[in-house]
Amino acid sequence: MESKDDPLHIRLGLSPEQLVAGLRTMITARETDDRLWLLSRQGRAHFVVTSAGHEASQLGCAWAIHIGHDYVIPYYRDMALVMALGQSPLDIMLHAMGRRDDPSSGGRQMFGHFSSRRLRIVSGSSSVGSHLVHAAGIALAFRATGERDIAVMGLFGEGATAEGAWHEGLTIAGIHQLPVVFVCENNQYAISVPQRHEVPVEDVATKATGYGMPGVVVDGNDVFAVYAAARQAMDRARAGEGPTLIECKTYRLRPHSNADDDRKYRSAEEIEAWRARDPILRFERYLIDHGLLGPEQLEAMRREVRAEVDAATDAAEAAPWPLPDSLTDHLYGSVSR
Amino acid sequence: MPVLTFLEAIRSALHDAMAADQRIIVLGEDVAVKGGVFLATDGLLARFGEHRVIDMPIAEAAIVGVAIGAAIHGLLPVAEIQFADYIYPAIDQILNEAARLRYRSNGDWSCPIVVRAPFGAGIHGALYHSQSVEALFTSTPGIKVVVPSTPADAKGLLITAIHDPDPVVFFEHKQLYRSVRGDVPDGMYREPIGKAAVRRSGDDLSVFSYGLMVHYALTAAEQLAADGIDAEVIDLRTLAPLDRHTILASVAKTGRALIVHEDTLTGGVGGEIAALIAEHAFEYLDAPVRRLGAPDVFAAPFADPLEAHFMLNPQKIAAAMRDLAAY
Repeated sequence: MESKDDPLHIRLGLSPEQLVAGLRTMITARETDDRLWLLSRQGRAHFVVTSAGHEASQLGCAWAIHIGHDYVIPYYRDMALVMALGQSPLDIMLHAMGRRDDPSSGGRQMFGHFSSRRLRIVSGSSSVGSHLVHAAGIALAFRATGERDIAVMGLFGEGATAEGAWHEGLTIAGIHQLPVVFVCENNQYAISVPQRHEVPVEDVATKATGYGMPGVVVDGNDVFAVYAAARQAMDRARAGEGPTLIECKTYRLRPHSNADDDRKYRSAEEIEAWRARDPILRFERYLIDHGLLGPEQLEAMRREVRAEVDAATDAAEAAPWPLPDSLTDHLYGSVSR
Repeated sequence: MPVLTFLEAIRSALHDAMAADQRIIVLGEDVAVKGGVFLATDGLLARFGEHRVIDMPIAEAAIVGVAIGAAIHGLLPVAEIQFADYIYPAIDQILNEAARLRYRSNGDWSCPIVVRAPFGAGIHGALYHSQSVEALFTSTPGIKVVVPSTPADAKGLLITAIHDPDPVVFFEHKQLYRSVRGDVPDGMYREPIGKAAVRRSGDDLSVFSYGLMVHYALTAAEQLAADGIDAEVIDLRTLAPLDRHTILASVAKTGRALIVHEDTLTGGVGGEIAALIAEHAFEYLDAPVRRLGAPDVFAAPFADPLEAHFMLNPQKIAAAMRDLAAY
């Protein structure tokens, strides 16, 4: 029997194995992100849009998803999320380098546009906020097919909440009380524009009221807080009790992308203060404090991850490009009569 | 074979297709309880229920975006934009999302939606209930653009569009809804997308058109026939992809080409067809390729004389045909 004196993870029903695997995913995502920045400086990768700092928000959400059953509509910052759902460092590197076997797009989309029909990760565009109407549409389809016990999670930054399509997606989900969980990874900047110039309220979650759904604010750097909120919202959705808007307060620890210089809009002090709250360090501390992982095991894990990312980088660089003639493939499907 | 109006043919297509396939849903403003502002979806709610016939709020991006989402989960959604003039908020969804979903996922996902929209002037609809917007969609790959002109095609092409594996934008000229009648086969009758129809065979010149203008061109052709000028009238039916074979074969036969559309001239579909003919049938031409469209103003001013002056009519088309025949 669980009691209130049990450690947090036990109260949340998370096993030690899940926690260790989760930490490994976070470390793998950060290591992959770091590597992509290095590769971009070396001219070996064209583009990187960072997920650094968002790992706890994304892992906490991933834990609440029934992988391959629930739909996930991510945005470009969700690399740790899709890795937690099953994309490997090699999958990510093939995508980042635009190789033929990139599982997300076969080399058609720039890095950050994750997709996998097998994992029910839905392909998105770069048009911010446009995917949330798709989340509502998938959920509306469940009514036509009579499916229950299934949900959709759509993720976005706080910048997307100014978009018309964002508003329309939440409007539809609210009207029909659809099984959609909207997750805002609020890192406080839309590239350079601070939240006070992009969101008219202190908490994005308060917008939920206008859409007929509960809004929840969580510390996005606390994987347990995110999981608790995401789990509750996904359970609610699957039970037919309607949508939820979750706001994860977090911070990106790198510039928006390799084309961005964040020194123009953020102070070094601000970034340092958030580095001290790095969600990975926080999660590591929890595992060590609870005797779930020793310092040597952690060091070994870091070494293994680095080797895995090394291997993925090498394999992706050696992987074939798409053939030029494949340029016109998949413009249209084949018509069956 | 029943004789139906164009509007009844649309309704018949939706009804018969929905009865045959549970995956088909209809969504849009006023489509359920009211049955559509033109009554194109009248009766569907009672027959198929509120989970398949869905009244949407006034939010065009959501109407198309929700259709895209439903298609992602395997349904075959038919979205209605109440007037083509209001399709603009949904353009990001149509061009950036629906058109590109298959390509950007390397064939992993697809988007078999239909977006229906009444278009066209001549009903005193003024600037925001009269527009022809088809040329906004014909330059983007990944989508098909269909404009039927007869009741039989309205049904046959709509059923084909619903079962097409890719997004189809389907424009219905609102003046045709109740003004034309014709034989329409029962049941799952299909016409192929991408195939033009020769509505009148002739040897002296070719007229290429679509929508309401096909009817005007046929009237004009009969006027010319009285003077011994034998015009061929081709109903394009599909604007993307164009039926290049039928277009070029007709020009090879007649040596003269006139493209007629209700849309304004500059940047209209006619330019693409003219270029196609110039590139591939130059040696057959006995005269320059001609285009006839609306003047480059907004469709369509409200006052009767302004609207009438904006619109093409059989007389204007006949004049252009005579001019071309005399070249």
